[in-house]
Amino acid sequence: MSEPTFEVDHLSLHYLTRFGEKIHAVTDVSFEMKQGEILGIAGESGCGKSTLVNGLMGLFIPPLHPTSGDVKVGGESLMNRTPQDIREHVLSRKVSMIPQGAFNALNPTRKVKDIAADVIVAHEKGDRKKAYDRLGERFELFFGAEAKRILNAYPVQLTAGERQRSVIGISTLLNPEMVIADEPTSALDVSTQKIVIKMIFDLLDAGIFKSMIFITHELPLLRHVADNIAIMYAGEFVEKGTAEQIVFSPKHPYTKALMGAMLSAEPGQKSRKPVAIEGAPPSLAEAIVGCRFAARCPVARPECRQNKQELRMFADRLVRCDYAE
Amino acid sequence: MLKQHPTARFILQRAGWYLLTFLVAVTINFFLPRLGTSNPVDIILAKSTGGLSAQAAREKEESYLKEFGLVKLDGHGNILRDTTIRTVKVWDAAKQASVSKPDTLIKPIKASSLDQFFTYVKMSLSGDLGTSFQKYPKKVLDVIVQAVPWTIALQLPTIVFGWIVGNVLGALAAYRRGMFDRVFFPVALLVSSIPFFVFGMLLVYYFAVVLGWFPAMGGYADEIIPSFSFEFFGSVAYHYVLPFFSIFLILAGGQAIGMRSMGIYELGTDYIKYAKWLGIKESRVLIYLFRNAMLPQLTGLALSLGTMIGGALITEMIFSYPGLGMAMLSAIQNNDYPMIQGVTLIITTCVLIANFTVDIMIGFLDPRVKAGLQMGGN
Amino acid sequence: MKLLKNLLKSPMFVIGASLFFGTILVALFAPLFYSVTLDRVGEQYAAPGAGHLLGTDNLGRDYISLLIMGLRSSLYVGFLAGIIATAVGTLLGIYGGFKGGWIDDLLNMLTNLFIVIPSFVVLILISASFKDGRSLTLIGLIIGATTWTWSARAVRAQSSALKSRDHIWLARINGDGTLAILVKHILPYLLSYVFMVFILQIASGILSEAAISMIGLGPLDTQSLGVILNDAKSNGALGDGVWWAFIPSTVLITMIVFALYLINTSMEGVFNPRLRK
Repeated sequence: MSEPTFEVDHLSLHYLTRFGEKIHAVTDVSFEMKQGEILGIAGESGCGKSTLVNGLMGLFIPPLHPTSGDVKVGGESLMNRTPQDIREHVLSRKVSMIPQGAFNALNPTRKVKDIAADVIVAHEKGDRKKAYDRLGERFELFFGAEAKRILNAYPVQLTAGERQRSVIGISTLLNPEMVIADEPTSALDVSTQKIVIKMIFDLLDAGIFKSMIFITHELPLLRHVADNIAIMYAGEFVEKGTAEQIVFSPKHPYTKALMGAMLSAEPGQKSRKPVAIEGAPPSLAEAIVGCRFAARCPVARPECRQNKQELRMFADRLVRCDYAE
Repeated sequence: MLKQHPTARFILQRAGWYLLTFLVAVTINFFLPRLGTSNPVDIILAKSTGGLSAQAAREKEESYLKEFGLVKLDGHGNILRDTTIRTVKVWDAAKQASVSKPDTLIKPIKASSLDQFFTYVKMSLSGDLGTSFQKYPKKVLDVIVQAVPWTIALQLPTIVFGWIVGNVLGALAAYRRGMFDRVFFPVALLVSSIPFFVFGMLLVYYFAVVLGWFPAMGGYADEIIPSFSFEFFGSVAYHYVLPFFSIFLILAGGQAIGMRSMGIYELGTDYIKYAKWLGIKESRVLIYLFRNAMLPQLTGLALSLGTMIGGALITEMIFSYPGLGMAMLSAIQNNDYPMIQGVTLIITTCVLIANFTVDIMIGFLDPRVKAGLQMGGN
Repeated sequence: MKLLKNLLKSPMFVIGASLFFGTILVALFAPLFYSVTLDRVGEQYAAPGAGHLLGTDNLGRDYISLLIMGLRSSLYVGFLAGIIATAVGTLLGIYGGFKGGWIDDLLNMLTNLFIVIPSFVVLILISASFKDGRSLTLIGLIIGATTWTWSARAVRAQSSALKSRDHIWLARINGDGTLAILVKHILPYLLSYVFMVFILQIASGILSEAAISMIGLGPLDTQSLGVILNDAKSNGALGDGVWWAFIPSTVLITMIVFALYLINTSMEGVFNPRLRK
């Protein structure tokens, strides 16, 4: 079996506020990804997803700091490297990001082909003309005859779906090992969603990138897209298993709550956004005693507030709850 | 055919709009001074008919009325007269009573405001903006033509450089927050809240009167006769410094503040974040930032051009700089209505041309504007 | 209110507000403590000294008195112009932004027209024609009537953004008329914004008054900060180094305008947190 393309080893991240406070945004996250794997990460806003993403790309820019742990891409660690090093060697080449709201991510006053060329030129020697040829070929792969029109257009002249796909194309231009897609299909209509997901699978099959982390709050979608799913809450993974396991037999109370808020897990059906679970995530500035979800957990027991919950194997997947059933 | 050329459509549309605005401006320019209570002819008459006999005074009055387009003329340029016989009451000393007698005074028919307006438009189009009251018989246009080069020479470089320098400083402040920003921002805020003319006065006082480094007034030294000589140009340059800086510094300060806010805003946009995530070079990201933040600044420039030019004109007045500002000032002080009207018309025209230029520039620099046009927007 | 507390935390706001209210207080109450007089108090252009701490003008009048009177006039014109400009601009802006369609286009055209035609030119033309009747009120009215364009634009943008919000849609379904919606549902959201606009319009009004007075088209027979400057200029005070003839007035104008800008910037910082660090 091939080496893992991406390894995260007990990664913890914190923010340093103006007043010297430490906010522990991500605590003890570990996972591995193999070639061809898509890992879905789901959770509410504020659970630490965005912070994690920055960390996974090696972007430890103040006030964000790594507390402990390691991130490795293709065996190479991302820790303790200068920002210039990360920019030049990691971003777009090893780890790439498809941001949330991708269709606003393109500079409105620059043609698509120029933005794409900027990426190539920033990472490789060689002249710009060759860059244009390269991206012409690449865009033809998934835009076909439309490629020329799209490359020569300004973002405002493209539809949302075209912009989204252009962003995916630009992010994968340099064949990164790992791509992180942050909500790539939200705010798109169903047919466009299908096109985007097909594009992602095509790129993966063609080996243009090796693995992907797919972040979304729409769990049923992950069933079709992801191989494995990790549920994140208050900076921690609370459950991690295969897509089938998570969607059809969730064990952690939080996962159950998330799933329970969905209409149905039917394929292709656009699900409702999760109905807000009562309460809000705990503040991560102080040390938390006991289970982080206890305050909002429908089946919480008195012991939950005292005992810190660790990840343990239960029903063939990892669950962070001693009382899961 | 026009549909295929968004650029041509864009330019034509803007040009059409500015033409319309120009027409409105000309109309306003004509009718506003007539809102008030004063009759310009009375004023000039008072000056010039003292000591003349009643007959001579009347003739002079009529010649002025004719010259300023206030009376109706027939095809040959003679004054049309009201020939209806009117009676007027006159005191008959012999009869010790008022007696009705035919009125021997045959009055010219006053041209209505509308007639005056058309005369005005006709005259203006043929290049005649009237005759100055104060410098009679000098023509308004002649005075303006002499003054315009000074104004343009002072204002154009000041506004252009002030805008560029201010925006660059503002972008720097936005990008490298920290010490530079903390010191820079309050200073720039203070400087930009000083009105142009106030700053002009302060500069004159300090650098011209107290320190004596620069001259306080004029475009060039009184003794020198304008010619293509080093002496003349040297004097011009010497007199240029203070007026230039009094406009430039404040303009730059104001732009810097605006650009700083824009820069801070743009830094937080999705596309800048994405560009950084992609690992695009910092120099390139800065260019993205600047070019995009600049666009609203250009729009702001277009909106405030009128005010800027106004402020610069007042600065000219303070420095007695021989441009349109001074022409306006002495016209106001001497109630020289044709001159006031002529100068305001030229100023308005210049502002409109400048606005048109900036508008077109924005259209070329920002693809969203032309795209909006393509998609049937306004 | 929470808003006020946040504002008070900002040093810019505190400084700006204190300066501004300080000047208002001086303008309103100074005559109670200081004998404001137009009588001759000393020699022509006497330097600052006893009895006339800021010197005298070309008629021997006490500058402190002149400045206090001038302050009142300038503040009056500034407020009047500010109120009119804000009112007109807000009304047009709210209505156009909310209605959209051809009404919006029409109002936009009108606004653009007024923007592009320089307002000071209009100001000069109107002032010049009222040789005899130039009162402070008239000047305030004219300034207000020519400088509303900026507020109209700013408010229109906000109103236009608000109109697509859900609670508006609900109100429409309920059958509320346009006026009711504007007053009950849009205006409350815009109040803080309109207030900021108002602050800037006052500043603009004071500056316009100073400018128009400086070129000799100011109010007749009244002192204002701009009139003081005009007198200084026409009597050659600049060239003769009579600094007290124009520097105090200059400082006052700058200080008031600066204070207003501080208030505005600090309010912007509170309402739009990204501008703070």
